[in-house]
Amino acid sequence: MDGQINKHDERFIQYNKKKHLVQNIMFGIFRLFSYGIAAVLFCILGFILIKGFHTISWEFITEAPADGMTKGGIWPAIVGTCCLMLGSAIFAFPVGVVSGIYMNEYAPKGKLVNFIRMMTNNLAGIPSIVFGLFGMAFFVNYMGFGDSIIAGSLTLGLLALPIVIRTTEEAFKDIPNSFREGSLALGATKAQTIWKVLLPSAMPRVITGLILSLGRVSGETAPILFTCAAYFLPQLPKSVFDQCMALPYHLYVVATSGTDIEAQLPIAYGTAFVLIVIVLIMNLTANFIRRFFVKKTR
Amino acid sequence: MNKIEAKNVNFYYGDFHALKNISIAIPEKQVVAFIGPSGCGKSTFLRLFNRMNDLIPVARLEGNILIDGQDIYDKSVDVDVLRKNVGMVFQRPNPFPKSIFENVAYGLRVNGIKDKHFIEERVETALKGAALWNEVKDKLKESAYALSGGQQQRLCIARAMAVSPSVLLMDEPASALDPISTSKIEELICELSEQTTIVIVTHSMQQAARVSNKTAFFYLGEMVEYDETKKIFTHPEKEATQNYITGRFG
Repeated sequence: MDGQINKHDERFIQYNKKKHLVQNIMFGIFRLFSYGIAAVLFCILGFILIKGFHTISWEFITEAPADGMTKGGIWPAIVGTCCLMLGSAIFAFPVGVVSGIYMNEYAPKGKLVNFIRMMTNNLAGIPSIVFGLFGMAFFVNYMGFGDSIIAGSLTLGLLALPIVIRTTEEAFKDIPNSFREGSLALGATKAQTIWKVLLPSAMPRVITGLILSLGRVSGETAPILFTCAAYFLPQLPKSVFDQCMALPYHLYVVATSGTDIEAQLPIAYGTAFVLIVIVLIMNLTANFIRRFFVKKTR
Repeated sequence: MNKIEAKNVNFYYGDFHALKNISIAIPEKQVVAFIGPSGCGKSTFLRLFNRMNDLIPVARLEGNILIDGQDIYDKSVDVDVLRKNVGMVFQRPNPFPKSIFENVAYGLRVNGIKDKHFIEERVETALKGAALWNEVKDKLKESAYALSGGQQQRLCIARAMAVSPSVLLMDEPASALDPISTSKIEELICELSEQTTIVIVTHSMQQAARVSNKTAFFYLGEMVEYDETKKIFTHPEKEATQNYITGRFG
C-alpha cells in the first residue's frame, strides 16, 4: 500500500538495526553507571568491615579506652553517640513534624510559606561546621549549657530539622486531596482530618525521614566538635549537662592524634565498623517500619 | 417546604465570574439534578451547599444560601456542624486508607460519638442502606481498598449516610463506574430520597431523567432553566436546553 513502510525494505531493516544498537549501547552505559555506584558502596563497606572486623570483640564494645587510647574499647563513645541521637530526636522530631504539617496544611499558601521553605532548604545546605560554631556560640556560651550532651543534641537537632521538615511536608503533599475533602465533608475539623486521616497515611514516610535523619546525625563530627564531644572520657555521662565521647569524633581522634597512631589504627577501623553497623541498623529499621505501616494502611 | 434556597448567588474564582445570579429552591426529600456541559458551574454551585469552596482561597461569594431557612454563610454557623448535616459523595470513590468498618464509623467518631454499640449498629444500618452489607459483612476489618470501584462508591455513600445528614450532595457519583455499578447507585438514590434531600450533578442526561424529580440546566455560569424533570426533557422552554438535551452541543 502507498505510504506504508515495507518491512522488507533494505533501508528500513538497516535503520531498525541501528535503532536497536543505539538503544543497547545507551542502556549499557546506564547499567554500568548504576552498577558502578553499587560497587563503590560495596568497596567502602567491605574495606571497613574487613579491616575493622579483627578489632571487634566483646571487650572492644563494652570497655573504655585504655593505655592512651591504644588499647581497650569504645563503650563510652557508643553510649555518647546513642545519647546524642536520642537527644537530637527528642528535639528535632516534634518541632520538625509539627512545622512540616503546619507548612503544608495550615499556613496560607503565599510568600511567607515560600520564604520559610526557602530558608529551610538553605538550612539544609549550611556546612555542618557552621552549625558547630553556632551551637558553641548559642547553646554552649549564651545559654550557658557548656560543653554538654544537651548542647550537642540541640546542635545536631538543628542539623536534622530541615530533613525532618522536608520529608514531613513531602509526605503530606503526596496525600491525595480527596482524603481531605472526604473527611471535611463528614463534619471533621481540620485538626481531626490531619490527626485521623492524613497523619496515618503519611506516617510511613515521616518515620522513614526521621530515622534517616538520625542516621545522618549519628555520623556528624563537626557540630559536636565544639559543643559536646570529649577527647577522652573513660566514665559514662551522668546527666545531660555532661560531656560525652562520640563515635565519629573518636574515629577522628584515634586516626589523627594520640600517642601511637600505628597502634591506634585498628581501633579506628573498629570504630568505623561499629558506626557503620549502627547506621545500617537504623536504615534497616526504617525500611521495616515503613513496610509495617504500609501493610497496615493498605 | 423548601429545604435549600439560593438567592441571587454570584460566585467568583479571582476575576473569573463562575456563577451568575443564580436563584433556586430545592424542595425537601426530592432529587434535584444539575446538568450542563463541563465548566458550566454546576459542580461549583453544588459545593457551595456544604461550603466545600471555603477551601479555595481566592473564591468569593455574593448572595445567600439558606438551608432550613438558615443562611449557611452566616458568621454564627459552625461549618463542621453544617457539613455533618449536608453530606457529600464525590466523583471518584475516596475511601480512607482504613478498614471498611472504620470508614463508615469515621463520621460518627469525628462528631464525638464514642458508644461502641451505637457505632456498630449505625455502621450496619448505613451499609445496609447503601446495599453493601451482604457483600462486606464478613470482611468489615479488611481494607476498603480491597473493594471494587462500585463497592467503594457505595461505601462512600454509606459513610456519608452514617451521620444521618438531611441533605446529600452527589458530584457525578457514577461517572467513574461501570454500567452495573451505575444502576446500583441510581437505585440507591431513589431509595435514599425517601429520607433525605438529594442534589446530584451529572453528565449523563439519561441519569438525570431516571433519578430526579426536578432538573436544572446550567450553561456558562448561568442557570438557564429549572423545572420538573419531565418537563425539561419533553418541553423545555429555552432553546439552549432543547439543544443540550438533544445532544446538539455539550
